[in-house]
Amino acid sequence: MNTKEQRIVAISAAFAVAYGIIPGVSAMHIMEGYLPVSFCIAWGVLCVPFLIAGFFSIKKKLQENRRSLILLAMAGAFVFVLSSLKIPSVTGSCSHMTGTGLGAILFGPSAVSILGLIVLIFQAILLAHGGLTTLGANTFSMAIAGPLLTFAIFKLCEKAKVNRKVSVFLAASLGDLLTYCVTAFQLALAYPSEAGGVAASFGKFLGVFAPTQLPLAIIEGILTVIIIIGLESFARPELKTIGYLKEGEA
Amino acid sequence: MIIVDKLCYSSKLRYMNAEEKFAFSIITLLICVISRSLICALFLLLAMGILTVKIAGTPLRYYRKLMLIPLTFLILSTIAIVINFSHTPLDAFAIPVGSIYITGSWQGILKATQLIATAMAAVSCLYFLSLTTPMTDILEVLRKCHCPLIFLELMLLIYRFLFVLLDIADAINISQHSRLGNKDLKTAYHSFSNMVSVLFVRSIKKSNALFDAMESRCYDGTIRVLSQNYPPRKKEIILMVLFDLFLIILIIGGKLI
Repeated sequence: MNTKEQRIVAISAAFAVAYGIIPGVSAMHIMEGYLPVSFCIAWGVLCVPFLIAGFFSIKKKLQENRRSLILLAMAGAFVFVLSSLKIPSVTGSCSHMTGTGLGAILFGPSAVSILGLIVLIFQAILLAHGGLTTLGANTFSMAIAGPLLTFAIFKLCEKAKVNRKVSVFLAASLGDLLTYCVTAFQLALAYPSEAGGVAASFGKFLGVFAPTQLPLAIIEGILTVIIIIGLESFARPELKTIGYLKEGEA
Repeated sequence: MIIVDKLCYSSKLRYMNAEEKFAFSIITLLICVISRSLICALFLLLAMGILTVKIAGTPLRYYRKLMLIPLTFLILSTIAIVINFSHTPLDAFAIPVGSIYITGSWQGILKATQLIATAMAAVSCLYFLSLTTPMTDILEVLRKCHCPLIFLELMLLIYRFLFVLLDIADAINISQHSRLGNKDLKTAYHSFSNMVSVLFVRSIKKSNALFDAMESRCYDGTIRVLSQNYPPRKKEIILMVLFDLFLIILIIGGKLI
């Protein structure tokens, strides 16, 4: 074996070991107390403009129609339940969807930022996924960056007239991947490697979480596609109420 | 359905003043995260465990299970922090793989230990809050902190709808299981997706029905509930302040040694 081959064997062995010790796979929430305070505050501040934008968009929607408050609340609960349901997985361990991708496709990214924040608070308090001090960092990766990319890809594909299924799959899975990359980057910034600094650390975090997050992104993509197909075939009136389908479309 | 929610209603500290509990756990949490001191974290882990299990009366087997939830994340990210890939070996361990080393330093290991302890202690602080204080009480505290009203209203409604939707999801799940809906992976994916679609339709229907029901009862955008008031007790406050002061002394002492 030459050096390169040896390296590949070593890395795949590390993956195998990591896979062996993982009891359950969930979306990558940074746990309570894991980030230094300065980073918690910085990520929190970074979220503020997005949250304010989301807040005003919700307020505007409420002025138009008060019914939308209940609808938004239901959407929030829907995202939470989606992320707490066990999805079927190959290894038999329990994994969870992020749910914010589907939320962004259905309800738009500005509403999802606020809903995502609330869902993350509930997840921290009720499920111990994530935490209160890391709320800012988690909100940025899961409720802002991921959904924004999902929505952007979805709209772009719509403009380019890509097949609906393909565009939903791309949007959901790439949004999931971005969430994972942003989280790894947040961890890397807080804990730069002793050899190689932030970049090396980023690579390490990406690598360590890859065996759980890569399949999860693909599964999330597939599930979102089947869900959207299901919705479009028998929930057209409901999709119109939330503005996903235009009134004219039959 | 959600175990933390169930446990907090039967906690012995359920009727303690919610602001007290909230302030205590948040301040302690902050002290722990800001200081990142190993001694402080170990002490907190023990103290919060005793407070939650002995005094608040959370069953130990649940507490143990709950404390293990963040373990996956903890193990994986700590591996990423301890292990380095470098051309020059570091002082703690170094496994040569070709021309590079999988290596780590004592300082890195020390930092990782500190991090694990801090994170677990922080989780125990969070659990003290969530296992003794029901969500509605926490919302009441947030209202007193002048959180935006729309935000609180959304939180209250979402909290209520969670259980409605979880109930539906659970019922669907049971009926799918009893009809071999999960017999292989392909069927399982289809069942799951169908469940989510149905859940979506039901949630929209429910929300429309609920709005009509609330509208006919004069709903104007806020749900007003009488808050039960449990006055703060001096003794408890003094104990909490002493606890946090002790923590700070412990941290300063630990730094001096």
